[in-house]
Amino acid sequence: MTIVSIVPEQFTLVEFDAERVKAIAAEVAKSVAFPSDVDIHIEVDEVLPAPLNSSQADYLEGRADLWFTGGAFEDTHKGRNIDEVLTRCGLGASLLRVKDRISGGFEDAPNDSEISERQRALWDAYADGRLTRIEGFVIREPRRRYVYRLECGFNDVADAAYDQLWASDATTWADLLEIEARLIEADPTERGAKPSVRRISLRQTQ
Amino acid sequence: MSDPFKPRPAFAPWDRRELPGLFDVEESARRVGAYKWIEMRLFEALGGWIATVPELDVKMILGRHCYHHAWHAELFDKRLPELREMNTDRLCAPANDAMEAFVEALHEPDAPELTIEKLVGVFRVLMPRKIAAYTFHLNGTSRVTDAPTQRSLEFILQDEWNDWREGEMLLQSLIDTPEELERAIRRQHELEALVVRAGGITGPGTIGTTTEVEGAGV
Amino acid sequence: MRKQLPPEMLARDSRFVRTSIMDQILDPRNRKISERTIGPAKLAPGRPASADRARNLMHGIFTGEIQALEGAGRTMFDFDETEAPFALKLDMARQCWDEARHVEISIKLGEWMGTEIGEFTEATFLYEAACAPDPVLRLCGVNRALEGLAIDVFNTMKEFGDVSGDPVLEFCEDWMLADEVTHVKMGSDWLRRLTADDPERLERALDFQRTVDKLFSLGGFRGETDENPVHLARKLREMAGFSTTEIDEIAELSELARAEGKAAVEAAGSA
Ligand SMILES: [Fe+2]
Ligand SMILES: [Fe+2]
Repeated sequence: MTIVSIVPEQFTLVEFDAERVKAIAAEVAKSVAFPSDVDIHIEVDEVLPAPLNSSQADYLEGRADLWFTGGAFEDTHKGRNIDEVLTRCGLGASLLRVKDRISGGFEDAPNDSEISERQRALWDAYADGRLTRIEGFVIREPRRRYVYRLECGFNDVADAAYDQLWASDATTWADLLEIEARLIEADPTERGAKPSVRRISLRQTQ
Repeated sequence: MSDPFKPRPAFAPWDRRELPGLFDVEESARRVGAYKWIEMRLFEALGGWIATVPELDVKMILGRHCYHHAWHAELFDKRLPELREMNTDRLCAPANDAMEAFVEALHEPDAPELTIEKLVGVFRVLMPRKIAAYTFHLNGTSRVTDAPTQRSLEFILQDEWNDWREGEMLLQSLIDTPEELERAIRRQHELEALVVRAGGITGPGTIGTTTEVEGAGV
Repeated sequence: MRKQLPPEMLARDSRFVRTSIMDQILDPRNRKISERTIGPAKLAPGRPASADRARNLMHGIFTGEIQALEGAGRTMFDFDETEAPFALKLDMARQCWDEARHVEISIKLGEWMGTEIGEFTEATFLYEAACAPDPVLRLCGVNRALEGLAIDVFNTMKEFGDVSGDPVLEFCEDWMLADEVTHVKMGSDWLRRLTADDPERLERALDFQRTVDKLFSLGGFRGETDENPVHLARKLREMAGFSTTEIDEIAELSELARAEGKAAVEAAGSA
């Protein structure tokens, strides 16, 4: 039985209910068929508001280690309040990615703090695409596509890769690296030519 | 090749323009002044209403149409001095008190729930009246002496047709229920009554007078 | 229809949600964020969460365009010709058409960036500058201050599109920038014409503009360093009729607004 823990246990800057977030995480774990023998630890940095939206999802010491900015769960209409639909999706995508790390072809992928923004954008497209096919998740596909294009390029090769990832149920870290190589070749901008760099992460600002 | 010095008729055979027209300079100026006045009141109303309509498409269309009518007012304003009216403000006036009362009533709706009332006033009452008045002027005035007014009217009528059509389509898309239909009809009725009293946008005779023909209607 | 429509009466469909600037100022997270080093604030594709920040800013531009459209429309209606001459009304009508196009562009651009209408909240402080009872003050507040800010924001977003290789964003911002330069120039020209014989009115108007400019710098939102998300577009402002002294003054005001914003955050935090 999965045990969910959260930090902080009491939010002071935002009106999130830690117990509710844990309950949502438990529901989401069931929906995405997350292994029941793996515990989940969630850390929310409540200082960082929307639109400073960011997250990390790792498999560390036998448990899912999830990190989010408060903005990633925040209601864009009612600041400092939780948006449960967004929270479900954020947790869902993160848990799918940890599942990938455990036994879904991403066992050899580096931790989130070490992968590039482009690699992350590819993986997110793969995760969100799968979430749309599971009941109970409302994904804003156009937003995902824009975030993806910003990292991977505004060109046909990048768009084709996106569609491929979105529709896929079985991509591996090796596939992802192969796609990334294709994208670098197709992107005429400076960003495209550069090797993958991990930019400053919001998590490092704590 | 024909001899370039051989006299040709001054007017090509297909040029059927004629003298005189229905209006002298003074009458043409009076009408143009009334046109400028009504175009101004219209673009001001559209401008004011932009902030009061919640429908985003209507908001943007009002912004676009507002400029069209301002441009019409500008064309009429530029024509007035050429019609011997150097003080362009003097003739920029309503045809009569009833016309002024009509515009006051046209401007009245304010609340965000009254988009139908606002649009009916513009697209089902005022614009058909403008199209009628401008068409009458275009057809009746001398195409030789009053050609500059005619040229402006042709541009303006093109705008009016396009904008009227767009406004009418907006209304058709907004009127869904019997209650909304009732509101539209009631509003049109109220405002039409005022325009009828005014005799059209340049007063009685806006689109000419119909002379009784013996035996007509028998 | 009433003259002088207050901001709370701006009509919106149910997708739009209004926010108050005070809610943002009093947000307890502000103080904590100011203690963090989250890298340069300038909006650029290489910064954290840049996509969502760009989407958020673009939505702000969209609602700002609606308010610019409404403000220009109200200036035509609220004043008679003794207060707002015929030619000024014609300019305002032209601006209405331009702003209506900007709203259209912003909606399509928002769609391109994966943003829904009303996804983010709307603050009405831009329209508030269009509520001044003197048309000259409105021109200063809206055409010179608000539209000046639009130049800075569009230029920043255009660069964002250029660096990220987003052809649609760059294209749209380029066209909107072209219009905004003429709007600012319109404001500068009318300010001179309407106050030619009234130096006191000119001073009042410029004073109002300074207040609005400072408000629009929003605690450091706009400025000339990497600490400012949006940068002063000096060259384009010159094209729009601002003198170097005037641009320097806006830069100083922005710096002042940044410092005051920081102080306000600290005061709110310790209250
Ligand atoms: Fe604009
Ligand atoms: Fe503008």
